[in-house]
Amino acid sequence: MADQDKSNGQKRWVGQRVPRKEEGRLLRGQGKFIDDIKLREMLYLAFVRSPYAHARVVNVNTSAAEALPGVAAVLTGREVESLTSPFIEIGPDQCQKIADYPMAGSKARFQGEPVAAVVAESPRLAEDAAELVQVDYDPLPAVTDAEQAEKNESILHENAGTNVVWRGVFEYGDVEKAFREAASVVEIDRLHFHRFSSTPLEPNVIIAQWDNKDGRLYYWCNNSFPSFAIQFLAPHLRIHIDQIRVQTFDIGGSFGIKITNYTQMAVCALASRKCGGRPVKWVETRTEHMLSSAHGNERTFLNTRVALDKNGVITAIDSRHIDDCGAYPRYEPLGCVIWSQVFPGVYRFRNAKIDFTQVVTNKCPVGPNRGYSRMQHLWFLERICDICAHELKIPADEMRLRNYIRPEEMPYTTPNGCVYDSGNYPKMLEVGKKLIGWDEWKRKQAEARKDGRLIGIGIGTTLDSGTNNFGQSQIINPYAPFSGNSQGANVKLDIYGEIVVAVGSCPQGQGHETTAAQIVADLLNVTPDLITVRTGFDTERNVHTGFSGTYASQFAVSGLSAVHGAAQKLKKEMLRLAAFTLNAKEDELELGIGAQGPEVRVRGTERSIPYGGLANIVNVNSAVMPEELHEITLNCRYIWRAPFKVPDKAKKYGNLTLTYASQLHIAVLEVDRDTYVPRILDYVAVDDCGTVINPPIVEGQVYGATAHGIGAALMEGCFYDEVGNMLTSTFSDYTPITSVNMPNVKFGDIQTPSPHSFNGAKGMGEGGAAPIHTLSAALQDALFDKGIIIDDSFNNGDRVYHLMQQAGKGKKPARVKPRAVPA
Amino acid sequence: MFPRAFHYHRAGSLKEAATMLSQLGPEAKLLAGGQSLIPLMKLRFAGPPHLVDLNFIPGAAYVKQDAGGLRVGALTCHADIEDSPAAAAIPILHDCAAGIADVQIRNRGTIGGSLAEADPSGDWAPVLLTLNADVRCLGPKGERTVPISKFVVDAYTSALGEDELIIEVLIQAPPKSSGGAYIAFKRSAPVYASASAAVRLAMEDGVCRDAAIVLGAVGLTPVRALEAEAALRNNQVTAKTMEAAAEAARAAADPQPDMRGSAEYKRQLVTALVKRGLEVALKRARGEKVELSHIYA
Repeated sequence: MADQDKSNGQKRWVGQRVPRKEEGRLLRGQGKFIDDIKLREMLYLAFVRSPYAHARVVNVNTSAAEALPGVAAVLTGREVESLTSPFIEIGPDQCQKIADYPMAGSKARFQGEPVAAVVAESPRLAEDAAELVQVDYDPLPAVTDAEQAEKNESILHENAGTNVVWRGVFEYGDVEKAFREAASVVEIDRLHFHRFSSTPLEPNVIIAQWDNKDGRLYYWCNNSFPSFAIQFLAPHLRIHIDQIRVQTFDIGGSFGIKITNYTQMAVCALASRKCGGRPVKWVETRTEHMLSSAHGNERTFLNTRVALDKNGVITAIDSRHIDDCGAYPRYEPLGCVIWSQVFPGVYRFRNAKIDFTQVVTNKCPVGPNRGYSRMQHLWFLERICDICAHELKIPADEMRLRNYIRPEEMPYTTPNGCVYDSGNYPKMLEVGKKLIGWDEWKRKQAEARKDGRLIGIGIGTTLDSGTNNFGQSQIINPYAPFSGNSQGANVKLDIYGEIVVAVGSCPQGQGHETTAAQIVADLLNVTPDLITVRTGFDTERNVHTGFSGTYASQFAVSGLSAVHGAAQKLKKEMLRLAAFTLNAKEDELELGIGAQGPEVRVRGTERSIPYGGLANIVNVNSAVMPEELHEITLNCRYIWRAPFKVPDKAKKYGNLTLTYASQLHIAVLEVDRDTYVPRILDYVAVDDCGTVINPPIVEGQVYGATAHGIGAALMEGCFYDEVGNMLTSTFSDYTPITSVNMPNVKFGDIQTPSPHSFNGAKGMGEGGAAPIHTLSAALQDALFDKGIIIDDSFNNGDRVYHLMQQAGKGKKPARVKPRAVPA
Repeated sequence: MFPRAFHYHRAGSLKEAATMLSQLGPEAKLLAGGQSLIPLMKLRFAGPPHLVDLNFIPGAAYVKQDAGGLRVGALTCHADIEDSPAAAAIPILHDCAAGIADVQIRNRGTIGGSLAEADPSGDWAPVLLTLNADVRCLGPKGERTVPISKFVVDAYTSALGEDELIIEVLIQAPPKSSGGAYIAFKRSAPVYASASAAVRLAMEDGVCRDAAIVLGAVGLTPVRALEAEAALRNNQVTAKTMEAAAEAARAAADPQPDMRGSAEYKRQLVTALVKRGLEVALKRARGEKVELSHIYA
C-alpha cells in the first residue's frame, strides 16, 4: 500500500489510497449520532411554529399544553426575550439594531419560525402538547423578493428602520477608462441565482443539559462550527464561555447548514434550565429542516455591463448585486464579503465595480451552504463569460483560454489583493476536453442540429477557496473583532505507547480520522492503523481555537497543519528522551517498527526503546528522568496560525483565503423535445486541490459536490409563494437528487501543489458549485441560436419550456454594443 | 413525526373489517400498506381515532387468472403485481406497478389502498379505466361490484360507503391485437407524477377499432380524453393521428399549477406522454414486446 520514499527508504502514507478508518463503523450502522444518545430523565422538545411569514404574535396561550399530563414545561418567545440577550450581530450600524432571538417574541418573520417550545416526557407527548398551544397572530404584509425588500415598504426589523442589512461598493482598477476603451460592451439586464439548500441525511439534533449540580451547560449536538456557536451562545445566555461544554460525535452531513443551529441550541438550554436541569433532546423533522433550519443565499445581479477588447478579452465588469439573506442575518452579512475571495473568478480582468447590497426578507434565514457566497458570484462570472462568448461568436473554450489567469502568473494577486496560490486552468480545460471527447461531441452536436435536436456543450470553471482570513469581517464591519485563522491539534504517546491524535474539527464524512492518521504515520514511521484519531469537537479536549469546526474547505490545510505541527513536536521530544535513555545522539536515531512494535533505535544497532518505554518514563516512571528533561510531556498541543494580515478596510483589499482549489466541469446535454427536460448525455469533472492526501476521499467529495450541484441546477430549490408560504417543505416538493437522476461522471484530476500549505494540499469539498455553472452554460449553448439567455441558475423542464415559449418576445435580456475601436 | 393517539383494531377477515368499520363509525380508517395514511398521520394532517389493520387478513393478497379474468386481491402490494406472471400478460399493469414510487413503497403499498385513497395523482385508476376493470366491494350488507368508471367520484373520494372496503379488483383480459401502455413524468422516483397517461388501442387490420386514453394527475379525477380517443377510432394510427390525439388530450387536461409543474407545462407533458404511450401501445398491439419506463427529470 505505501510507497517507498526515495529519500530515506521510509514508507509514505500521504497520497495513498488508504481505506477510511471510519468506514467500518459508519457502513455497519455503528456510528454514534446524537439521536443514539439517551440520558437518564431526558425530556423531549417540540416547537410551535408560525404558519405566517410575517405576523405580530398577539397572544400565546400555553395553559392547555401545560395541563397535559407528561408536559414538563412550555417556553414562549416572549419568555426567551426576557431571559436572554439578543444574539451578536456581525454587521455594523443598522445590523446592531436587529434583535435576533431564537424564538419569535412579539413578531414572527418567516414561516416556520418558532414561537413556543414544549418539553415533555416523550416526543409524541411533546407534539401532542404543541398542538394545544394557542397562538393568536395578526398577519402583516410579507416581502419575499429582494428587490421589493429594498424598497422598505414592509420592514421586518422596525428598530433597524430598513430591510437593507449591508451595502458596499467593491471597486478596483479604472472601470470607466476600460469601458471608454472597450471594443465592445455587453449588457445583461438581470441574472438570478436561486435559493436551495443541502438536505443532510441527519437533520439538526441537540441534547442540552443545564446541570444544576455544577451549574454547567452540557451539549451533545451536531453543530458543525461549535467554537463559533459557543461564542454566540455564551453572551446570549449571559454565562461564561467556559461554563459550556460542547461535544459532537459522528455527524450525518452538514454542508454548512448546521452552523446556525446554535439558535435551537439556545432554546434547548433554556428548556433544560426551566425543567430543573433535566436533559432536553430535540430531533428536527425533515419538514422542520426544510422550512426553518437554513437555506443557501439567493442573489440577483442587475444592470451588468461587461467591457471587452477586440479579442474578446474581458477588461471590466460593472454590476449591482442584491443578496437575500432571509429573515435574520445570523452568520451574515459575512456573505457580503466572502464572495470577494474569488472576486475575478478564474479570469484576468483588473477593472471591476460591484455594488453589493444584502437585504432581509420574510423567508428562512440563510446559512453558509456548501459553496457559500462564492458560488453565486462564480456563477455570475461564468454566465458573463458564456453570454459574452455567444454574443461575440467566440467558442466557449476559446473564450476561456483568452481570459483565464495563466499558470505562469501563479501565485496571482487579484485586483482586490487575494493571492491565488497555484492552479493551471488551461491544463484542466485540456484534460476535461480530452476526457469528454470534445471534438467528437462538437461533431455530433452539429449533426444533431440538422435534425432539430438541441444539444449543448458547456464548460464551468470554478474555485473552491479554503482557509478563510476572518479579517475579511472587518471589511463588513470595521469594529468586528476577528482576523486570521487558526486550528489546534494534540498528539500524544499514551501510557502504554498508544499514539493518540485529537483535533478540533467535527467531520461529517470528510474522513479526518484517516487523513490525520496518514500525516502522523509518515512522521512517526508507523502504520495508520496504529494511530487513534479522536475527532468530534469537545471543548474539554482543549485542542480548539475560536475558528475550530469543519466548514469552508480547509481541513487539509488548517487541520492537518495543526496535526503535523503537534506530531513534529512529539517526535522531537521522543528523540530527545530516547537519546538520553539509549545514550546516543539524536541524529543517530531512527523511528520505525521493530520486533516489539514501534520503537526508536540507534541506527544500525540492536539498541532501541519501544514507544511504550518512552511513554512509561514520562508518565509513571519519572524519577529516572534528569531534571533537564522534565519539560518533555509526550503530550503535545500545537496551534497552527494562518499567515494572514488584517485587510485594508477602506480599500477592501487584502488576501482573504489561503488556498484556491479549482474545478473544471464539462457537460453535454440535450433538451428533450417533448418534455423540455435538459438531459445530461456526458459529464466530466476535473479537480485540482493541490497535493492529494487520500485520493478516494477527494474523489468522494468531488462526486458528492457534483451531485449536489446537478441537483441544484435541475431539480432543487427553496421556493415561496408571494405571501411567504414555503412551497418546498417536503422531499416530495423539493425533490433532492437521487441516483435515478445522476449521470455517470468521468473524473479527472491535475495537481498543482500549493506553496501556502506545508504539504502542498488545498482545502476542498465545496466544489464551487461547478455543475450549476456548467449546466447553465450547456443549456445556453443548446438554446442560444433561439435567442435565449440562461439568466437563472435553476433550469428544470418547466422553466426551459417557458424560456422556449417566450423566446424572441420582448426585449432581449442581453445585448452586445460594438464600439468604435480606439486607435 | 409522531401521530396522535389512536385505537388499533386488527381485523381477522375482510368481513370482520367491514363490521368493525360499521361499529367504529365514519372516522375509523383502514390501514392497508399505509403509504398515504401513515405519513399524513405523522404530519398530523390526519388523526383518525381508530385504525382497522387489514394486514393480518389471510388470503387477501393474490394475483390469479381464472375464467372470470384476472383477479387481484385488494391487499396485493404493487411489487407483487410487478413480479406476477399472471399480470405480465397485460403489460400496462406492469408499467404501472413497476413505476410506482420506489421499491420500499412498492413493497408496502397496495392496489386496494391506492384506489380507495382516490388521490388525483394515483397511478392505478387511469390504468384500470382503460381496462374497464371492476372493483368488488364488501360492506355489512354484502358485496357489490362497481365499475372503475363509477368508483372514482372526486378528489380523495371513492364510491365506497363509510362501512365498505375493497376486496378485489377484477380485470378482463383485453382482446388480442390490442395493446396498452402507461407512462408518467416524475421529477424523481418517490414523488407523485406531474402528469401521466394510460392508453389502450384495439387494432384490426391496421385500423384502430377502439381507443381509451386516460390522463392522471391533471384533474381532480382521472381525465378521460374522449376527443383524443375519437381522433384515433376507426382511423389508421399514424404519426399524424397520434399527434392529433395528443393535442386533443392536451385540451382535455385540466391541471393545477404546483411544484410538480405549471399548468401549461403539465399540458405539454400530457401531449408528450400520450404520444409516447400510443407509440408503445401500437407496438404491443402488433405483438411486440416493449419495455416502458416512466420519464424522470
